[in-house]
Amino acid sequence: MTAARPVPGTEVSPAGSPTPTDVAVDRLRVVRESGWGTPVRFFQPRNAAVWVYIALVGPGLFLILHYVSSATVVFGTPITVAVVLFGLYGGLFWWFTQRIDRYAHLPRKLLVIAFLWGGFGAIFMASSANTPVLSILGKVFGLSWASDWGAGIAAPIDEELAKGLGLLLLIALASRAVSTAFDGFILGAFIGLGFQIVEDVTYAVAGAGAGFGADPSMSTLKVVGVRMALGFGANIAYSAIFCTGLICFLGRPGQPRRVGVGLGLMLTAMLLHSVWDNTAGILGPAAPFALVAWVVMTAITLTIVVQIFRRTVGVERAYMRAVLAPEVEAGTITAEEAEALAGDRKARKAYRQVAQDRDRRRLVLLAAHDLADELGSANGAETHRVSFARGELARIRSRQG
Amino acid sequence: MPTLQQFDETVAPEGWVPVEQRWAGLDRRSLRPAAVVLAVAAVMIFAIPALDRAIPAGRAVVPGEVLALDGGVGFTPAEGWEVVDGVALGDPTRSGEYPSTAAVLVDAVSFEVTTADFAGTPQELLTQIEDLDERTSAGRGPEVSGNPRPVRTESGQEGVMTETRSATTTGLIAAFVIDGTGVEVVVTGPRDAGTGRADDVTTMIESVAPLGENR
Repeated sequence: MTAARPVPGTEVSPAGSPTPTDVAVDRLRVVRESGWGTPVRFFQPRNAAVWVYIALVGPGLFLILHYVSSATVVFGTPITVAVVLFGLYGGLFWWFTQRIDRYAHLPRKLLVIAFLWGGFGAIFMASSANTPVLSILGKVFGLSWASDWGAGIAAPIDEELAKGLGLLLLIALASRAVSTAFDGFILGAFIGLGFQIVEDVTYAVAGAGAGFGADPSMSTLKVVGVRMALGFGANIAYSAIFCTGLICFLGRPGQPRRVGVGLGLMLTAMLLHSVWDNTAGILGPAAPFALVAWVVMTAITLTIVVQIFRRTVGVERAYMRAVLAPEVEAGTITAEEAEALAGDRKARKAYRQVAQDRDRRRLVLLAAHDLADELGSANGAETHRVSFARGELARIRSRQG
Repeated sequence: MPTLQQFDETVAPEGWVPVEQRWAGLDRRSLRPAAVVLAVAAVMIFAIPALDRAIPAGRAVVPGEVLALDGGVGFTPAEGWEVVDGVALGDPTRSGEYPSTAAVLVDAVSFEVTTADFAGTPQELLTQIEDLDERTSAGRGPEVSGNPRPVRTESGQEGVMTETRSATTTGLIAAFVIDGTGVEVVVTGPRDAGTGRADDVTTMIESVAPLGENR
């Protein structure tokens, strides 16, 4: 009779019982710190954040639906087309943002909660304040001054605060799942996406009645075109930057508290938003060149976003390495595969790019990723799903290329 | 050395509230973030709009001033009225633009002007405005109460005008098209306002003109 092979991450003690190795202990620490695979339950009656979330998203949802449905009675076709186009646009960004959250990824339910906050809770708060702030500025400094500078004062403060506060609620709702600055970056992007799509729809509704409603289709399509062309650099990016800063400011299990960096990032998001909204005021007589300025602003914003991504994703990659380390030690996966999984797009491509074996290697990476997810969800314990994921990986590996 | 199973036992199930963290049926740890969000929301939804309402809107019309609108059109508001929207000629934005709306108010009688590109005749513009008003108000807004009649401004612009009436208000809509810019004038006041402001309204309508030609 042969002894059973110990599960990865354990070794057999002299007494004969399995005990965790160092890498397994580190894996458990990482799983706990990252909250990887932690299920998210929205309805927690004891959690005050849930009630605040409902109290703000509920009226926002009602107001937006009422606004859009009222206008649809008048401008049915153009608004329906706008909603469909913005829906597809939003779907594309949803896919992209979820794709870059590929390591200790956030639960889908949390992403939906973030999106709905941006689309209805944050919109409700920001739109309640934006118009009166502009009105106050107009009364105090004059309407022309308010036209030049008002939007760049009201929107960055109202909207970034409203979007960012959603992250506070998400932390209270799912404290284990929101662990790193990168989590803030991704959740901020989803909050911004919800805000962006709903705001775009309201702009399309308002645009339909432009020019005395003489040509609502063309008016709406103009709004859709402009918002789609320039929108991706706006709310999604700003709130991703702001929420990364908020996590740094607060500190989380996977992100030491760095007040200065946090404040800097939040102010950067507000400043970018302000410059964008004040472009006409800043350019003055050169306002016809606003399009050039917006392209430059978009490039600057995306450069900052890419830099933040690069600086925050490292922790998530380290989590992936730590979770897979016992599997490498046990020979379930190779060190090369673990590096590819924890690496960037180039690393994954380099691993896959082997003639005659490309398809099998792609599947091996997917199966190994499944195993990492199952280990996270199981809190590092050995479960049926973990064993099965390991078996699946072995099955895929044994396939002929 | 601890076993794998012992590690699991220290991790609280999601949503578990330790007894010392319970307060009035709530998780004490969730109170602070919830209170912060609620406080900021209250400021944004209630306090800022209240502050806006508390600051008086409008300013007295400066004698002889012209309110300028996008599209190169303006009108001369009557003295004694209050400017609640719009900017004076000579005070554009830094990019040299004027807003597309202006409004003056006195004794609950409002005189609002809106401009936008329009390719058509004043009669077509008036029909378009009536049609849009009818559809957006779903029949609950003021109704047109007479046939359109021509109106001519002091600068020679030809337009059309029609009267409106609801259960509590009376008013008129006038439409002009000046060099490709549609101009909509909407006057609304209480039915019991009398005709005391009628002369002012007529004068203001007749003052609608391309910028530089206003009197």
